[in-house]
Amino acid sequence: MRKFIFFIQFLLPAMFIPAALSAQKAITGTVIDPSGRGIPAATILINHSSQGTSTDNDGKFKLTVPPGAELTISSLGFLTKTIRVGNDVNDLTIRLEQDVARLDEIVVTGLSTSIKRRNLANAVATVSATELNGTAPAQTLDGALNGKVPGAYINANTGAPGGGTSVKLRGVTSVYGNTQPLYVVDGVFVDNTATSGGLNAVTNALANGSITSNQDNPSSRIADINAEDIENVEILKGASAAAIYGSKAAAGVVIITTKRGRPGRTRIVVSQDVGFIKARKLLGVRQFNAQRAASLSSDSLTGVHLASEFQSAQAAGKIYDYEKEVFGNTGFARNTLLSVSGGNERTGFYFSAGQKDESGIVRNTGYRNSSLRLNVDHRINDNIKLSLSSNFINSSADRGLTGNDNAGVSTGIALSSTPGFAELHADQFGNYPNNPFAASNPLQTIALMQNNESVNRFINGLAFDATLQKNDRSQTRLIARGGFDYYDLQTNALFPANLQFQAVNKGTSIQGSTSNLNMNALFSLVNTFTPSDKVSLTASAGLTQETGDYNNVLNAATQVIAGQSNINQAGALTATQFRSRFQNTGYFVQEEATLIDAIALTGGIRFDRSSNNGDAGKFYAYPKAGLSWNLTRSGIVNDAGFFDNLKVRAAYGQANNVPAYGSKFTSLVISNIAGLPGSLIDIQEGQPGIKPERQTEFETGVDFSFLKGAVSIEATYYDKNVYDFLMLSNVPSSSGFSTKWVNAGNLRNRGVEIGLNARPIANRLITWNTSVNFWLNRSLVTRLTIPPTPQGSFGYVLGTFQIEQGKSATQIIGLGGPGGSIAKWGDAEPKFQLNTYNEISFNNKLSLRFLIHVKAGGENVNLTNLENDFGGTSADYDKVTNKLNLPDAIYRITQIGVSAQEFVQNSGYVRLREAGLYYTFNRLPVHGITALKIGVSLNNFVTITKYKSYDPEVSNFGTGFSSGVDVDPYPATKRADLHLSLEF
Amino acid sequence: MKLHRYITNILAGLALAATFVSCKKDYGNLNSPTVESFLANASASELNNLVSGTESGMRFNLALYLDDVGTIGREVYRFSASEPRYVSDLLGASNAVLSNSNFYITNPWASRYRVVKNCNLLQDAATHSTLISTAQRNGYIGFARTIKAYQLLLNLNLTDSNGIRIVVNDPDKLGGFVSYDNALTAITGILDSAKTDLGNASIAFSLSPGFNGFSDAAGLLQFNRALAARVAIYAKQWSAALTDLGGSFFDLNKDFNLGVYHVFGNGSGDQLNPMFIPQLSSGEVRVAHPSFATDIQPSDDRISKATLRPPASLDGLNSNRDVWVYTSSTAPAAIIRNEELILIYAEANIQTNQLATAVSALNVIRQGHHLPAYGGPVTQGSLITELLYERRYSLYYEGHRWIDMRRYGLLGQLPIDRPGDDVWSEFPLPVSEQP
Repeated sequence: MRKFIFFIQFLLPAMFIPAALSAQKAITGTVIDPSGRGIPAATILINHSSQGTSTDNDGKFKLTVPPGAELTISSLGFLTKTIRVGNDVNDLTIRLEQDVARLDEIVVTGLSTSIKRRNLANAVATVSATELNGTAPAQTLDGALNGKVPGAYINANTGAPGGGTSVKLRGVTSVYGNTQPLYVVDGVFVDNTATSGGLNAVTNALANGSITSNQDNPSSRIADINAEDIENVEILKGASAAAIYGSKAAAGVVIITTKRGRPGRTRIVVSQDVGFIKARKLLGVRQFNAQRAASLSSDSLTGVHLASEFQSAQAAGKIYDYEKEVFGNTGFARNTLLSVSGGNERTGFYFSAGQKDESGIVRNTGYRNSSLRLNVDHRINDNIKLSLSSNFINSSADRGLTGNDNAGVSTGIALSSTPGFAELHADQFGNYPNNPFAASNPLQTIALMQNNESVNRFINGLAFDATLQKNDRSQTRLIARGGFDYYDLQTNALFPANLQFQAVNKGTSIQGSTSNLNMNALFSLVNTFTPSDKVSLTASAGLTQETGDYNNVLNAATQVIAGQSNINQAGALTATQFRSRFQNTGYFVQEEATLIDAIALTGGIRFDRSSNNGDAGKFYAYPKAGLSWNLTRSGIVNDAGFFDNLKVRAAYGQANNVPAYGSKFTSLVISNIAGLPGSLIDIQEGQPGIKPERQTEFETGVDFSFLKGAVSIEATYYDKNVYDFLMLSNVPSSSGFSTKWVNAGNLRNRGVEIGLNARPIANRLITWNTSVNFWLNRSLVTRLTIPPTPQGSFGYVLGTFQIEQGKSATQIIGLGGPGGSIAKWGDAEPKFQLNTYNEISFNNKLSLRFLIHVKAGGENVNLTNLENDFGGTSADYDKVTNKLNLPDAIYRITQIGVSAQEFVQNSGYVRLREAGLYYTFNRLPVHGITALKIGVSLNNFVTITKYKSYDPEVSNFGTGFSSGVDVDPYPATKRADLHLSLEF
Repeated sequence: MKLHRYITNILAGLALAATFVSCKKDYGNLNSPTVESFLANASASELNNLVSGTESGMRFNLALYLDDVGTIGREVYRFSASEPRYVSDLLGASNAVLSNSNFYITNPWASRYRVVKNCNLLQDAATHSTLISTAQRNGYIGFARTIKAYQLLLNLNLTDSNGIRIVVNDPDKLGGFVSYDNALTAITGILDSAKTDLGNASIAFSLSPGFNGFSDAAGLLQFNRALAARVAIYAKQWSAALTDLGGSFFDLNKDFNLGVYHVFGNGSGDQLNPMFIPQLSSGEVRVAHPSFATDIQPSDDRISKATLRPPASLDGLNSNRDVWVYTSSTAPAAIIRNEELILIYAEANIQTNQLATAVSALNVIRQGHHLPAYGGPVTQGSLITELLYERRYSLYYEGHRWIDMRRYGLLGQLPIDRPGDDVWSEFPLPVSEQP
């Protein structure tokens, strides 16, 4: 979209230029920054034509121009400049002024329209390719966004390979509806469903006998997208910006634009990263002695036995640190990418092929992603342009078995009750002993089990842009865009019969197969009417449709033949299938007006219906409006004074969140006995009248820059209200139902986002760009028509979320209030977050980049330590720091049933998320290589936190509402990489 | 004004495109049948599916129910590395109390009412169906009512004086909670109407092998009366209990294990016996309360219900016996069986002062378990003590001891294992039921 405007700029009058122009001449030029250094990859376009080029690494370019040509030169971070080429000039030097506020950046504001940031009415966050992936690349895209989006609360669920991250934009926008933003990649709505592989069949984490639960730790499907292909990411954080996306936009929209070819020389880049991955932190294990070993049992005879077991283990030197053996391994990572891009004035292309392969800190876990991308833009004639974006991904994640369980089988739970004097190692024949201290032997489990997710995925987008009419005052375009996202996901969870915990089931194989097809299409007409150079009106109208078709088959076989995983090689089989389909249809009209390039007005409305709503035919209307007023440009404030640029803005919009598929039906599930097929009423009561939740957001702010554009500040306040939010409300279970979808109430999020961008140092030697962002959010349940409802944790005893009128939506409450009452012990919402991203470059060759992220406050429910206390293995078991003078672990156990305060813990942190040092050689003796870049980077290497578990970022329940519950997760990791990149 | 023309163009274009998407989609439920589909003139096979779903659903959370009753009744300990509340809340460790939001009450309670709902749906669907005969309809309704009464009784066992809801047909207008006594009366009423239904019924549905010998109208009627006898002794309706036994499969000379069972299997969509834990397991174990072995009389063969193992301990509790009542993952679990009926017979006779009859019934049990004939005083008090002993061991881990001790006001006699432990008399109503 960004480039689109450039094309418009030269397309519009192109019709009126005679086809043949005489006396073209070749010029050369250099584009430099204010300190005189060349700007690489700046775009140079000849106005009124479709020709242009871009600069090389030294900022130089060559171009053939007609006499008297006007050139528009642009580069991100600099103000766009237009110059006229004099007749006698053959070599140009063009100096661009800095634009730390990115005022000239083009931001997508409609489904088919965009606007310069200087006229924007919303605070739209942008993450550039360098910020996203150029400092210390994370394993997957979802992780790469972390800490980089003001207004977002991003939280990794675990350290398990393959990603899995919760992204909440401007607070929780839904409780049981979708809390995650919509991801749009090159116009294609991509699916981000987390599909369970059925681990609940062995972990019984949700003790209801079902195969799946929300504690199965699946990855998010957005992790499939290769971050290295991304040009930039724009984040529409709330309804005021995202309204035009309609049905799926209530939790915000993440618009991902991938790289495309530019006219000019063909650029080939080969890059190779190698690195290692370690656990960020281990908790340590309890140091046993005979007396402590004996105290593991309250039975005196057993105690004597345990003490002697300890003593003989000690005498044999066989005291082990199992935590270190399991989680203390080093994973190796490699990542290779080849990209080829280029084009001419008619056709541009970007091709990439990449593969990453990483092993995890737990043996037999890891992640592999192979990706192919081809983006092609072709201009059929001056009026019609076609763009194709095509991506194939093959990814595979071995995620291990971690997290909550009620069967003693997950790695952390088994370790929690296994003391270091137990012998778990295999004998010389490779047979593992049974673990007498737990239901499973974690070394055996890790060695023999599999938990793999593998995906084949196609994402294809096509855009068609035709200029139907144009004259000097008006231009009308037809924009049609659409695409599909198809994937096939295979999950394979295999637990062979010789595992300790398979004594009853004699081998379990859970094979899942999921296919998902999302399609979306947009048709719109856009008219830009410019009656004078003071007024510009853009009207757009169109319709959109999105469909989805998801089909998940999960087969859980038990009594599996030794060495086999096929579900027919088994004595017993339970099959489940879940399908869902939806179709959302929307119509929209939008009008944007720009007056004297200083006042921008936007108004629009969208009408939506969805097959998931109770009334599938009913249209719901979602309006939006925005105003930005640039006070310096309109002359109200003198731009020669303190402010170079001063803008006030306000925007309002509405969006919705459709009910989950099937929420209108009261169904009967299959429940068989002795070969007789049975229908049993589902525990979820249907709600035939279910409505979408409606979000309204008002935001206002002021943006200004001073010191000649060297410092810019963007301050935003928002007030976001969700009406009729959907809740899976608990109903009296004597009704036969446990839950029912209801439009249960209203909730509000208010917050502040303040961003500062500055270039404190800019001289020929050193440039330092910095950005500092501060943001906070407060939520409040303003209305609730049902009783206070605990959400997704483990009850008042251990601390739970609870939706309650007049309280924060993310409060954590539990036992321990005065007189045995329930008290509030925390809130998942951070008090505030702060980040700073810095890029310091020396002599344009050496670049130091780092990102520091501060999350102040916010609580987790931490049960990991408690599990270790129960098992008698916590590292601080025997310390005495509590007021009762008991061993700390005993003290914590006595708190169960007394107070949940002990388990609701502050999870704030200061984290050096990313740091990277890169050096670019661009005068190489080797012919053909134009640049060589080498670098080292550290990801998550330094974290300062008081939180007492593996990592403050954790979520046993995945990406839903209740993030931050900590039950023996796959430990968070840190990584270091070496980067090498060659450009030809 | 040219703009006008463009707007017309836009509108024309939109109208064209609108036809492309104008058809409204409503996909229906792609995954399962809905309540509406059953209420619209259900066929016999649809009704049969509801019958099997009902029978299957009765097994949900059965292990949890038995652990609730067995733990508080000091029959068993459930040691779980990952779930402390079995040994904290259920035993009232130090300050722990039974919470109204925890799994041990919410899960079994909800599972029983889920089956009640299925029974109500079966009853409604059978009533609306025109595709079955009147006798067949009576069969479905009689079965539905019998099972409903049984499920209500199990929940009443947990909440006792807190009561239960009886009328739960309309989720938006649930009936109120009724007291323990009134609930027993209502359950008796449901069983009695089922008796009438089954008296004029022909059975058009199949039941699992758990109902072998009781799957026709006459057999279901016997099952119905057996349950009625249990309810009668809870209600202290001693002579009614004897009458009910007369209509049941009670027989002093038949196998103790004759009765109706939950069966388990590993077929698709079926369940394994959740009470089964292999002997000598670690981590997840269910062990006998130490008093099980210390209180048992010499030569009592019921000691085999808890087999020796290396000591297991958790949180100050120890045991060296695995519970071994359900000896495989497909072992059946009794709903009601002859041994209980003989003990009901003995109890009703004690209470109606037919002491000699009672002693001979008790001796049937004792001799069946290699014990000598009863030699104690033949007084009501002593015989009740003897009866409670026999019930404790005969019905071990089948969900009775806690309820029996409560019926006789003897909860104070249950052993306390750790200082500060409590013996609860009832569960609180689940949080979802709170007004």
